[in-house]
Amino acid sequence: MREFLEGSRAVAEAVRMCKPGVISAYPITPQTHIVEELASMAARGSLNAQCVNVESEHSAASVVLGASAAGVRSFTATSSQGLLLMAEVVFCIAGMRFPVVMTCANRAISAPINIWNDHQDAITVRDSGWIQIHAETIQEAMDMHILAYRIAESPKIMLPVMVNMDGFILTHGLETVDVPTDEQVEKFLPSYKPLYKLDVDNPISLGLLADPDYYMETRFAINETHKDVLKLIPMVNDEFSKVFGRTCGGLVEEYKTKDAEKVIVAMGSVCGTIKDVIDQMRAKGKKVGLLRIVSYRPFPIAAIYQALKDVPKVAVLEKAVSLGSYGPLLAEVRSVFCGKKKAPAISGFVIGLGGRDITVDSIKEVYKKLTTKEITEEYIDLKPELLEESI
Amino acid sequence: MSQEKMEHLFSSGHTACAGCGQSMAARLVIDAAGPNTIIANNTGCLEVFSTKYPETAWGVPWIHSLFENCGAVSSGIEAALKYLGTKDKINIICQAGDGGTADIGLQALSGMWERGHDILSICYDNEAYMNCLSISSLIMTKDGLKNILDIKVGDEVAAFDQKTYQLVYKKCSGVFDNGIQDVYELKTRHHSVKATANHPFLVLKRQGRGKQNIFVWKTLEQAAIGDEVVAMKNAAVEKTYEFAFQKVEKGDYKVNKINPMEIPSQTSPELMEYLGLYVGDGWTREDRGEVGFAIPDSTPERERLLELHTHLFGNHLRKDDMYVYIGSVNLARFIDSLKFNKGAKNKTIPDWIFTLPQEQREAFIEGLMLSDGYKFGNSWRFVSASCDLLKRLRLLAQITGFQAGKIHWQTVKAGRVCVKRKLLKDTGFGYVCMSKRAKPQIQKYASQYRWRNFLIDNEYYDTEKVTEINYVGKEPTLDLRVEDEHNFVADGIVVHNTGIQRSGLTPFDANTTTTPLGVKSAGNPRPKKPMPEIAVAHGIPYVATASAGYPLDLQKKVKKAISIKGPKYLQIHVPCPLGWRHDSKYTWDVAKLAVETGLYPMFEYENGKLANVRKLSVVKPVEEYLKVQGRFKHLLSNPELVKQIQAVADNNIQKYGLKAEQAVQAPAETIKETKG
Repeated sequence: MREFLEGSRAVAEAVRMCKPGVISAYPITPQTHIVEELASMAARGSLNAQCVNVESEHSAASVVLGASAAGVRSFTATSSQGLLLMAEVVFCIAGMRFPVVMTCANRAISAPINIWNDHQDAITVRDSGWIQIHAETIQEAMDMHILAYRIAESPKIMLPVMVNMDGFILTHGLETVDVPTDEQVEKFLPSYKPLYKLDVDNPISLGLLADPDYYMETRFAINETHKDVLKLIPMVNDEFSKVFGRTCGGLVEEYKTKDAEKVIVAMGSVCGTIKDVIDQMRAKGKKVGLLRIVSYRPFPIAAIYQALKDVPKVAVLEKAVSLGSYGPLLAEVRSVFCGKKKAPAISGFVIGLGGRDITVDSIKEVYKKLTTKEITEEYIDLKPELLEESI
Repeated sequence: MSQEKMEHLFSSGHTACAGCGQSMAARLVIDAAGPNTIIANNTGCLEVFSTKYPETAWGVPWIHSLFENCGAVSSGIEAALKYLGTKDKINIICQAGDGGTADIGLQALSGMWERGHDILSICYDNEAYMNCLSISSLIMTKDGLKNILDIKVGDEVAAFDQKTYQLVYKKCSGVFDNGIQDVYELKTRHHSVKATANHPFLVLKRQGRGKQNIFVWKTLEQAAIGDEVVAMKNAAVEKTYEFAFQKVEKGDYKVNKINPMEIPSQTSPELMEYLGLYVGDGWTREDRGEVGFAIPDSTPERERLLELHTHLFGNHLRKDDMYVYIGSVNLARFIDSLKFNKGAKNKTIPDWIFTLPQEQREAFIEGLMLSDGYKFGNSWRFVSASCDLLKRLRLLAQITGFQAGKIHWQTVKAGRVCVKRKLLKDTGFGYVCMSKRAKPQIQKYASQYRWRNFLIDNEYYDTEKVTEINYVGKEPTLDLRVEDEHNFVADGIVVHNTGIQRSGLTPFDANTTTTPLGVKSAGNPRPKKPMPEIAVAHGIPYVATASAGYPLDLQKKVKKAISIKGPKYLQIHVPCPLGWRHDSKYTWDVAKLAVETGLYPMFEYENGKLANVRKLSVVKPVEEYLKVQGRFKHLLSNPELVKQIQAVADNNIQKYGLKAEQAVQAPAETIKETKG
């Protein structure tokens, strides 16, 4: 059924259909309407879940950790500073292998305080062991939550999934979406059967101390599981299309890259704008394309190599920085081609930090700047006059 | 006891210390709560010693994730069980130590209480934030060498004048408790001092030929092996010490004949040599009115002792092959009043000796050498079982014209033969070597000497090269603020005061006396966080305190708590033999003493009202509790502090009405002395 929905409400609708048993979040700005909507669903009785209104993000993550340990599907949502306050627990949830699903409304990190969109929050916890997928549209953000539970709870995986959607742009934007039916979701997502849980009939201890004899293997095991996730995502995506009649991104999305001479690599909602620019430029005969990275963790190295190996010029466009080094995405895309014979010239551009508008002109400028000479870090739409002032 | 097999839900084989109060209490709790219980545990001792992968001591479902979140994790479990519809059949306990409850974990706990989850939270209170005060730095003051814990605002501490390079005494204007931090040990050939990585030391900066060398501040982190730090070699205060000793007169004591012994009113070289002998080989038994020396017959030491004794006190003694006994209440009490401490492991050199005239300090060291010393020419060695004594002797020697090397300390396992007998338990002893400093011929080899020691002709200070910097571990730290010069002498080395960096920001009034080794509610000028009251203020239905010393009461409270719906809080006092430094077999007694003195009141609040208290039919003085624990050892010598702690107990007794109708004040005779 097609409905005109706000991003947050669409996600809440999808989460409701996944039937989580425990939902917990801390409602500070920057937060979204997702949890508010779920709470009102629970109040109305259309959602049978325990909503725990906690006193901090740290506790929100801890509550879903505890609920997941007790064998119940659980959900939380956060953003920006909230994710950073959770960070300690975020690592724990992955380390303890609990299939929690969390929405991260991607926003900038203080200081200076800024509540608008970029990807710095998710990038900051990229090494925690969570699976991180990035949505381009509200439809995709909605679908990804259903997909996320399916992947997280696969007995071979048992890892948490963070569904990233751009703050404001997707969370507060409105779009016509195709809302799946409860039957479809039920068909695609079976109820959660935990492999292990806190059970008085079969007592186990969780979260033990691992000394140097044991710790390293736990990290290795998570890393190996991420390789399995790379294989699983395309399979689950195929199944998803069979049930719902549309895909859910996969690992990467290639948009007109087959014969392209210049390709932008990007994540999230900016890809919509890029696709528009590509259509305009293609109409004028320019061979440009887009490679959208959907799964940031695990990082789809092989898929990226396949997509870009014949492209002469590549621009990595990212909404996050690793201050003191290359942009994080640039570094990783370059590393894909490190030591390979066929390597494109890969340039890096930083764009839209702290919610700065990304216009069609900004994207056109990136294509224009893309020559055979590699650019390492160029900030698009920087205001030099502000820098002079501050100096 | 019945012969049937005891099944516990918290099994043995975990790695807790012997006598750990927390493990005792944890077993009592879970056995009382029963198998239908899920536990969420914060990081802490209990978690580490009970669940080291791949083993677990828990017979119930158990989860740990972080230091501070078990309040929230257990909320999640409770919500999940409610969703599954099994909550009514299953108890949930969230448990933590005192840090995980009252400090870092308080927020999650408060949230859990406020939301009204049906969970019992337990705090195993071992007062660990205050326990391991091995704050060992010794500070030179105008009144002698003091432990940093005993420094008070207004004390004049030795400082280095950075313009004239002379010794000055400056008032201490603040003492700051900086909590537990990573501590490093900086060693030179003759000194060693423990400090945090950011603590600045005064380091010589050589500017090269023809230029004036200067001193700069370097943090321990920046300091390197070979850097020259400033060390003290002379304390400059030389005053004869006047004793304020009141003689016992006839009739004040249980016997009616008192030896007519003259007690000197001030120190003299002879007396100091005598006392040196006493510290090495002597004992006092005040109850018997006896002073003794373990010095065998026909040795030069025995001869010297008799000579000194006759000269100082006349001849009131008894001798046999091994010992010399002096029967005198007054002499025993006099020596006890000088604060040398009792027992070979606890003997020490009190503060006042450090400010005596040179001659008297030398005589004291001579006396020590006579007892347990060995002289090989100019190389002297003193052996002792008291680490504190060696540390202080090393510093005393430094300011009395000696060079002293490092302290060699070793521990010998029980069973090794030592002086023809097998040792009954593990024993530690050590020695320190020293030699008289030669007078340098500065005129002749001026630049050579200055190259080795820039302050060679300085009367009070030397420069010494750093030889080692090692990480020691986490230890509690204190800091001083000193007027004008902003430095002081710690363990013989000039260090910067760091209090100055904060002085402008924080009103330190509450902080201006040293926190005297506070037991939570005792002694610390900032009282312990009143967790039970904080819990009561959340409006939760049941709050209680209990003690590992009263297992039946504890289990009764656990059972009562889980029978009540809603959030419950139970705080259990659990002794920690390692941290509190008491013998592991006394865990139970220590826990009981805390209750019996009124320092740990046991009570129950039901629906916000004080419902029950454990009445005391015998109220014991707080000294009984303090004496059995090493962490309070230094405290007992200060009656003012003991009085403050007694006041805390008295306040508890009044506040909670602890005294039973026919309560009696117990006599202080049953006290066990702490060993080691």
